[in-house]
Amino acid sequence: MYFQKKRVIAMLLAGGQGSRLKVLTQKTAKPAVPFGGKYRIIDFPLSNCVNSGIDTVGILTQYQPLELNEYIGNGQPWGLNKTHSCAQVLPPYERNDKKSGWYEGTANAIYKNIDFVDRFDPDYVVVLSGDHIYKMDYNAMVEYHVAHNASCTIAVRNVPLAEASRFGILNTNPDNSIYEFEEKPPVPKSTNASMGIYCFNWKVLREALMADEEDPNSSKDFGKNIIPNLLNAGHKMMAYPFDGYWKDVGTIDSLWEANMELLGKNPEFDLRGGKNATIYARNSALPSSYIDEEAKIVNSFVAEGCEVYGTVKHSVISVGCTIGEGARIEDTVVMPGVVIEAGAIVRNAILGENSKVCKNAVVGGAFAEGEKKSISVTSKGAVVEANTVLLPGDML
Amino acid sequence: MNVMGIIFTNDATMGELTNKRTMASLPFGGRYRQVDFALSNLSCAGVRHVGIISRYNYQSLMNHIGDGEEWGLELEEGGLEFLTPYAMTTTHTYRGKLESLNNAWDFLEYGADDELVVMIDSAILSNVDLTDVLNKHVASGKDVTVVTKAGIANGEKKLDLALKLDENGEVTDMVVDYVADKDYVASMDIFVLNKAWLMKSVKEMIARDKFHMDRDLVMGGWQRGVVSVNVYQFDGVAMFNESVEEYFNNSLSLIKKDVRKDIFNGNHPVYTKVRDRVPTYYGEGCEVENCVIADGCILEGEVEESVLFRQVTVGKGAEVENCVIMNDAVIGEGAELKYAILDKNVTVTPGAKLIGTKKNPIIVKRGETV
Repeated sequence: MYFQKKRVIAMLLAGGQGSRLKVLTQKTAKPAVPFGGKYRIIDFPLSNCVNSGIDTVGILTQYQPLELNEYIGNGQPWGLNKTHSCAQVLPPYERNDKKSGWYEGTANAIYKNIDFVDRFDPDYVVVLSGDHIYKMDYNAMVEYHVAHNASCTIAVRNVPLAEASRFGILNTNPDNSIYEFEEKPPVPKSTNASMGIYCFNWKVLREALMADEEDPNSSKDFGKNIIPNLLNAGHKMMAYPFDGYWKDVGTIDSLWEANMELLGKNPEFDLRGGKNATIYARNSALPSSYIDEEAKIVNSFVAEGCEVYGTVKHSVISVGCTIGEGARIEDTVVMPGVVIEAGAIVRNAILGENSKVCKNAVVGGAFAEGEKKSISVTSKGAVVEANTVLLPGDML
Repeated sequence: MNVMGIIFTNDATMGELTNKRTMASLPFGGRYRQVDFALSNLSCAGVRHVGIISRYNYQSLMNHIGDGEEWGLELEEGGLEFLTPYAMTTTHTYRGKLESLNNAWDFLEYGADDELVVMIDSAILSNVDLTDVLNKHVASGKDVTVVTKAGIANGEKKLDLALKLDENGEVTDMVVDYVADKDYVASMDIFVLNKAWLMKSVKEMIARDKFHMDRDLVMGGWQRGVVSVNVYQFDGVAMFNESVEEYFNNSLSLIKKDVRKDIFNGNHPVYTKVRDRVPTYYGEGCEVENCVIADGCILEGEVEESVLFRQVTVGKGAEVENCVIMNDAVIGEGAELKYAILDKNVTVTPGAKLIGTKKNPIIVKRGETV
């Protein structure tokens, strides 16, 4: 079979469990978690690829891949199903050498797919993760990488000093070249946090992956092993500063917050975008939404296929939801296919896909200004029975 | 059962709204074009070989349908074919459906395995279970099955084809292009025929310079006793969008739950071209009541009993009532709209007033600023 040579391909790490999303990732991989009314988390890196002119994407899956695989399909929603493009799902598989079996770390996942990458003979490989919400032109990063003649370029963003010890921190010279990398340092020397977005010369990465496999003590991880090793070997490594919106949605709180940051006339993160800024998603064949005469919707997103009879304030209502008469939804993320029956009250919650809040049930609660919110969560298909209460911070 | 579908795009009958498009590509219901209903009905019945016969203005239609991917028709075998006048055996356009079928002979011959043909128009919208129609057609043993709707004939509306039935559902009278009385049922312009029989009939009709499907083949044949006609009485919602007034009323009828549930029956989805728009944003102070709203809108004013298509902006203090607003309209602050149809890309300047009536809604042409 003929494979067209590609200058750049992307490898998207989508196999993590996302255990901090708790019940939301019990049965589904984190990248397949719904976001923003009609999207899933993976739509963001995938759309960024397409908008950056990267038409070949390998998607590494491992944990609960069923829904994710189905969602990605042949890559059609992102236009990645054409003659010279692909969205290839890469699950772990059995073979007769060391590349057999489960992915044992982010670097190991790429290592086990060296053959896939080699087929396209790329000059550069962009490594992405499937758990961040942002819009970014990867091509601009690749050009920066090339212009600086680097072996590896890492996207960085400035984080508050107080939070810096939660990230991989890159200490740089004035020209943005990296002289030191510290994974979650207790006393950070700078506030340049790695965004987990890497651009490598494929030859360099390929060798580094092979060498790392020989190290029995390696945890086979980009942040812990590959990046420090390349740095120690004297490779030129650059930091690529990014100051746009970027959010790790790996926890219940951050997922809720990121959804809320979509709201407002001038939202912190604007989903809208013209040319090269559209986020693509697999669309469902649902009709336009119906808003009843008793409905009241304020400062909220409502996607298609919904029927709204109740009151919705400062919330994200995803595709195919029903909000019954007299129901009140506030500060809540309602995922696709949720039914909220008449008289129910839902505040400060995330309602998982196809879950149901029955008549007059109460989910979550109100919080005073400045008080730390405790988000209530329903898992996929969960049912909050009529006249019952799901307390703030509880999960069902 | 191998079935071929033939969709007719219908000639324009809605003045400014169909000046530059066929009835098939007329936007409807917030996110659809009228042809989506015909295509989806065929698609849901497993028809995988579809021809679209279009006489004029097919550019916007081709743009919308593309390779038919959304309807599962982007196939190696069969799939979707546009039968424009230039793609047919003669370069002049045709005078009637039979003549157009004669011109599209290659297409008919290509589907050699197809036993049945469904012919369906684009101006009458419904969610009809064509599998059931096909089964009933075969069981009837008749030459032609006509899908009909009761309650449309009213002694005022001119119908393409209307039929009078006895208590057993047998045809006792047929009229063509006629203002039929209430006791007639209206043809929904959906026909099922045996393909070999249809091809033979087309040749026989054309040989005698007969080209009108309803008049010459169905009614004429039935009157002469050479064509047997089976009637499939559809009891769901059928929207006859043949005049601006009907289009307007049918659009606004989507506000009714029973109408929505019927025409957007969840077991038979209506597919359309995907547009990647964000969800609709309801701002502070917006009041939206009794509306059908598509994706991508930004709403800050008052909207009542209206249908909004994708990416419509309604400014603060604007009042929109009983309107059909197509894609990408921008309605300025404080504007007042009642009984209006805004075609795509219309801009209403702040404070402007557009007040039509239920019978005569104001139409604003595509791309205009008022």
